[in-house]
Amino acid sequence: MKGTNLGEFEELLLLVVLILQEEAYMLRIKDEIKNQVNRSISMGAIHTTLARLEQKDFLKSEMGGATNERGGRRKRIYELTTAGKAALNEVKEMRASLWNQVPAVELKFSYA
Amino acid sequence: MPKDQHPPKLSLKLVRWLCKSELVEELEGNLHEYYTTHNQSTFKGLKYWYQVLNYLRPSTLKSFKNSNSGAMFIFNPILTLRNLNRHRSTSLISIFGFTFGLVATIFLYFYIHSELTVDAFHEDGDKIYRAVRQSEVNGTPYDIGVTSGPFAGALANDFPESITDVTRAMTESGLVSAGERKFYEDRILMADANFFDFFSYPLVSGDPKTVLDKPNSVVLSSQMAKKYFGDENPIGKEIKADNMFTFIVTGIMDEMPAKTHIPFDFVASIELYNQFDWFKNWWSNGLLTYVKIPSPQVAENVKAQLPGFMDKYFGEDFQKSGRRIDLTLEPLEEIYFNNKTRYDFALHGNIRSIYILGVVSLAILFIACFNYVNLSIAQSFMRAKEVGVRKVLGVHKKRLILQFFGESFMILLFSILLAIALCQLLYPLFNQAFGIELDLNWTDFNVLTFFAALIALVLITSGLYPALLLSSFKPTAIMKGNLGTGKNVGLRKGLVVVQFAISIFLIVATVLISRQNAYMNNKDLGFDKEAVVVVRLYNEEIRNNKETFMKNLRLLPSVKAVSNMSGEPGGFHDVTVFKIAGVNEDFRFRTVFTDTAYLSVLGIDVLAGRSFSPNLASDATDAMLINEKALVETGLSANEIIGKRVSLPSWNDMQRTIIGVVPDYHFNSLKDEVEPVGIVASQNFGGRVVVKVNSSNLKEAMIAIDETYRELSPGFPLQYDFLDDSLERLYEEEQKQARLFSAFSGISIFLACLGIFGLATYSAQRRQKELGIRKVLGATAQQIIGLISKEFVWLVIVASMVAIPVAWYFISQWLGGYAYRIEILDYWYVFVVGGLMAVVIALITVAFKTYGAAISDPTESIRNE
Repeated sequence: MKGTNLGEFEELLLLVVLILQEEAYMLRIKDEIKNQVNRSISMGAIHTTLARLEQKDFLKSEMGGATNERGGRRKRIYELTTAGKAALNEVKEMRASLWNQVPAVELKFSYA
Repeated sequence: MPKDQHPPKLSLKLVRWLCKSELVEELEGNLHEYYTTHNQSTFKGLKYWYQVLNYLRPSTLKSFKNSNSGAMFIFNPILTLRNLNRHRSTSLISIFGFTFGLVATIFLYFYIHSELTVDAFHEDGDKIYRAVRQSEVNGTPYDIGVTSGPFAGALANDFPESITDVTRAMTESGLVSAGERKFYEDRILMADANFFDFFSYPLVSGDPKTVLDKPNSVVLSSQMAKKYFGDENPIGKEIKADNMFTFIVTGIMDEMPAKTHIPFDFVASIELYNQFDWFKNWWSNGLLTYVKIPSPQVAENVKAQLPGFMDKYFGEDFQKSGRRIDLTLEPLEEIYFNNKTRYDFALHGNIRSIYILGVVSLAILFIACFNYVNLSIAQSFMRAKEVGVRKVLGVHKKRLILQFFGESFMILLFSILLAIALCQLLYPLFNQAFGIELDLNWTDFNVLTFFAALIALVLITSGLYPALLLSSFKPTAIMKGNLGTGKNVGLRKGLVVVQFAISIFLIVATVLISRQNAYMNNKDLGFDKEAVVVVRLYNEEIRNNKETFMKNLRLLPSVKAVSNMSGEPGGFHDVTVFKIAGVNEDFRFRTVFTDTAYLSVLGIDVLAGRSFSPNLASDATDAMLINEKALVETGLSANEIIGKRVSLPSWNDMQRTIIGVVPDYHFNSLKDEVEPVGIVASQNFGGRVVVKVNSSNLKEAMIAIDETYRELSPGFPLQYDFLDDSLERLYEEEQKQARLFSAFSGISIFLACLGIFGLATYSAQRRQKELGIRKVLGATAQQIIGLISKEFVWLVIVASMVAIPVAWYFISQWLGGYAYRIEILDYWYVFVVGGLMAVVIALITVAFKTYGAAISDPTESIRNE
């Protein structure tokens, strides 16, 4: 299995899935990314990353309900596994600890 | 609901075909929802398809490596390659066979294509007609390709409604010079100003409408521009013709898109000729007159009125000479293959040989296909187990068919790539060897269509049967070891017989065609063609000094005799009307105007009467001879006709006395029967000086002739031919075809051997155990070779029985086209030898292969179970 390090886009997807809860399926994920961070990502690209996250055991998925605008086809709804949540948390803590170590002066300069 | 609520079906199909089945529902749903809810922009469809195509990525696509669903594809390339590799020798034989067959077919296709597209590039090609005169010799009509200057103008004038445009062209030869560079050129065309507008010959520079407007303008081909001016820009530069006429280069021609019926490198304005009387004379010769008529119906209409047209301009002359000529129109696209036209400067092809070559190329291709079919069937017994196991494991028959088809396709693909590479590599060689100019234009639409058709044909003829056969095996029967081998033996043998029959046919035909060619080159023509030099009097300087030239030549020690004539044997012999005193009928004989040395230069003896005598002054202006054919034509005996007065009405009633009869010597091509000819002594018509030299020191003689010539005509190089060479050139086309034919019959026999080689290999392999046991029981190697060879030799013998009568029939037909030909019965042994040759070649091939099996250690073959 690949390392547990999360890529930037992987982290983004995990967060979005977490936010959307029961609504976490492809189209909603796509829209959420568009609305929240203003990035247009094709469904194919999202699928690849979701599949990878599933392979890393950070996500699990199951087929949900069908709707009319889907031509009667069910949707795949994603959900974070415990490992997924742990990984997100780890990333967050690691970031926080890194941020804490950044001197204030440096921070100002970087915005100059 | 608007109908665009449903996404394009194709997109969903694509996903269903290509993506993992467990994902399909989700993907389809996503796409569907995306299409219905997320689509407001102007590029609706485009954005949707972007999403669809973006979905096709490794994470969603089916895996081909380890999944049965790969079968959904046309075939499995890896499996196919593995199979081909396992049966390496047969695969190689098949690939080589196809490659050779394809190379032959591709070359012949390009050759035939180039022949069939002669002049096809003219925009108004279907509207262009050539005016052709019609005459007849003793009841046999014939066409004359050339007309005179006034025709074009009169035609345009008399048919203003029907004929929209006319143009004239005349082939010329002469000395061309630009500065220091001087060459004798014979591809010069003098043409009307609208020539480039009338035809569609492409120009690199110059406007087709105006390029020949000025009376001294000339257009060069790009090769000539390079030859005379190197890298300089030739436009506006001067070139001189015959040291007399100056032309200014006004245009450069582009590479011709295809062959054309009049080959030319220079086109100069025909205006130059307006100063000459002959150019305005209706009875002159030498021009090609073309007219443009909008539709074939109108052309028919014009044709019907042409007799009246001729009466209008020639009526009086017809009455005076008692000889009528007519005019007809020949469509441009028919000119090239109508080689019956006489006195024609146009190039001609032979449509019959095109058909023959087409059939030959198909035959070669079929031999290659049969090879493949044969080998596949032979192999099928080895692969029967594979098929059985596959079927037991649940593979559908359809899939097996696809797999075997795929294998055929793969082999064909390799062969095509190899063949294309080989063609590209070999075509300069091919062009050189056969004296033709092929251009391999792969991307032409016709060529691509041909390729597609070729691949389809080969695939169907050679792929279909093996695929059906192999996939039809019953698994239970195979597993029991019952292969049903007997079933296809007949077909296989039949194919071998056909292959060898074709090869034997081609061998025999090749030999007999080359015999016929040799016969034409070596036949005693009734005159001596060795060591005879024909000097062309092509310029004013030498024509004015003709008498001195001939006198000086006679003084040379290496020269035996010198004569002046209007046309040498094989050259121009006009038809003239002869009126014999005391005979009511008029006769039309071919004519040669010459001096009293004619017979001695050509070494012809008289049959009756006497020859021209140089000592009788009156002979030079008053005597004539006729040949035997002419004598028969008149119905008189030799004694009766000698001493008769003859008048030639078309030559101002010239009067001559017949002094003798000569045998029928072949003054024209051996393809035609000897015609009646009159040899008329005359002083003013000779365009050729013919010199009989001492054959022992030819080189010296040529140097002496050249010196004599140069004294009298310093500005022009000597132009000469050896008579035997120029006679040989009459059969150039035949020689070319004979070479093509022999090359391709060689290929066909090679392919047939390849096939039999493959079959023998298979036979030896399959009977390995049997042969081992035979050896153990004391059979010798020879006996074993004989055993296997026997079955093939029989096939070849049957093939020769089939091929020989067919070849006999077709070759007699072909020889029928020649007036003087070999007697096919005299060459019966060619048929026998051809058949024997095939047997021997087959025997050697088989023995070569079987030898290995025959000397192998029997323990090896029996040990393995």
